[in-house]
Amino acid sequence: MSTQDKVKINKLPTGVPGLDEIMGGGLPEFSFNIIAGAPGSGKTTLAHQFVFANASPERPALYFTVLGESAIKMLRYQQQYTFFDPAKLPDSIRFINLSQLVLEKDLGAVLEGITREVEKVSPAMVIVDSFRTMVRKPQSDMELQSFIQRLALFLASWQATTFLIGEYAEDELRDNPIFTVADGLFWLRQTPERNSIVRKLQIIKLRGQDSVPGLHTFRITDAGVQAFSRTFGLSGHVKDPPSQRRLCFGIPELDKMLGGGVREGDSVLVAGSSGTGKSVLATQFIAEGIRHGEPGIVAVFEERPQAYAERASTLGLDLETPQKDGKLTILYLRPLDLSVDETMHSILDAVQKIGAKRLVIDSLAGFEMALSPGFRADFRESLYRMIFALTGIGVTILSTVEVDESFTEFPFSTYSISFLTDDIIRLRYVSIDGQLRKIMVVIKMRGGNHAKDIREYEITDKGVVILGKRLTEYQGLISGIPVHSLRSDPTEEPSQDAEVENKH
Amino acid sequence: MTATPGMRDLAHRLLAYEVGEGMSSEPVGSPTLCVYEKLRQCLGEFVGATGFQSLAIRALTLARSEAPSLSAARVTADGSLQGLGEIGTPFDVDKNQAGDGGAILIARLLGLLRLFLGEALTLSLLRTAWPGEVFEDRNSAHGRSA
Repeated sequence: MSTQDKVKINKLPTGVPGLDEIMGGGLPEFSFNIIAGAPGSGKTTLAHQFVFANASPERPALYFTVLGESAIKMLRYQQQYTFFDPAKLPDSIRFINLSQLVLEKDLGAVLEGITREVEKVSPAMVIVDSFRTMVRKPQSDMELQSFIQRLALFLASWQATTFLIGEYAEDELRDNPIFTVADGLFWLRQTPERNSIVRKLQIIKLRGQDSVPGLHTFRITDAGVQAFSRTFGLSGHVKDPPSQRRLCFGIPELDKMLGGGVREGDSVLVAGSSGTGKSVLATQFIAEGIRHGEPGIVAVFEERPQAYAERASTLGLDLETPQKDGKLTILYLRPLDLSVDETMHSILDAVQKIGAKRLVIDSLAGFEMALSPGFRADFRESLYRMIFALTGIGVTILSTVEVDESFTEFPFSTYSISFLTDDIIRLRYVSIDGQLRKIMVVIKMRGGNHAKDIREYEITDKGVVILGKRLTEYQGLISGIPVHSLRSDPTEEPSQDAEVENKH
Repeated sequence: MTATPGMRDLAHRLLAYEVGEGMSSEPVGSPTLCVYEKLRQCLGEFVGATGFQSLAIRALTLARSEAPSLSAARVTADGSLQGLGEIGTPFDVDKNQAGDGGAILIARLLGLLRLFLGEALTLSLLRTAWPGEVFEDRNSAHGRSA
């Protein structure tokens, strides 16, 4: 059977930002769907967004309300959302109350009532809210099964895309005929995690198309439900081929150590303990990009954008002007109950808005703290998804991470995330000649050769400045407590910098 | 507290429309009952009979404080209105309406709708029962009270 012979299933926009991408393009037309979840999980709001996004006088929606929330109060509250357009009532969206019928009659009469209204209006969409209250009266399994079967068949035959809304518990998933008949099953959850509430959405079932599996976080704002896909809306994006372009820090000696700079699209980790200059290095990286016409994003968690820009100005770096010119965005993300997906959404929005090429995350520790406690457990996995998604669209990411300084170990990160990064620059304190000095070493560069030198540096009013040649007169530098070696002339051995330089 | 001027104005417009309809076709009853029945039909569909009955009882209670002539009126279980008595007599659009119980009852019912649903949605619902010209050139119905 050729592709041409196959029936094409139209996809309707859900009206919920992010949800179409999760569903693989939208809601299949004429599908029979269930929105399930506990009270307050956002079921009605989601259904309203769908009907307000799709209903028109030519394609009207019938919204049956049954017991549960009073229709008048439902409309009173729902109209507070920005998507609610009163002008759509009643020509495009008609609310019909079935409570009396449900209370006084059997399921057969209820089906008859729905049938009568559907035949009268020929709606493109039908919502039953709440379906659960409709089938709560005692009846045999067979009677219920028959009712659901007939309702689903009837609504599909009348070319209606249907949502039944119900308050179901997850242990009811088994042996319930409604879930068997449904083409799509959407489960909304909200769970307390320490002092935060986390909302998650799962598409348990969706016939006819590929949805993004797993639990996706969502938030309810005055614009209604907003979903955040685990793939950050980039599931259809083909990863850009690796670039050979190098991005500089604007610190000549460091750029030399990196073989000319970090490769475009890399994820760079700058690790070091407090005060070693991680943020300074990150700021220089973003400022150098702007100097070369590469817009940048700085995601800060530990200080306000204004303070970040002011600190940069003490290093002679102007971050105010590029912000005004739309070349730089400093994002402050710290509401303490974020999901990685929401953070990513904010970052991606900013990246797309200004066409950013460089992104600084300062710092990973701050990022982790900004997340809802429940998401911190998955921080490493989330970082992996985030880095993969962003570098896939050609953004070069520099993340700073604080590591506990130890004189017996030389850790790269407390998160065991070094495998997620392409390049690692390690900064550390070292005790030399009665002074606490700073050294820098490039640990890893996935995209090519790099200097093996350990270099001393200082933080001046010009930012990070690398001093002299590599430190050859000490051994055990990375331990932090080096010993003076007998060799004292650094010119006796060729610098690794030079080797790298010769290769490029 | 009395029904707001905006809601009274709207009630009078609906009643006047029904008077006009009554003159051009076979009279079907008092204008108050006609308006009330139309409201019961269009609102009952989406709030249900019980939902409409609750609103109507509340509106009647509020209206009685302004119009003692409504003391005999009552809302039945299905939401219909009974016992209007003299206020069910033909409506005089030119008369000062201060003492007209029917107009006050309708104004109170409309006021409750506006209070719960807002003006835009209330008018959208009313447009299913009355033609658009009834609502044209009408000043916005201000005021918070039902």
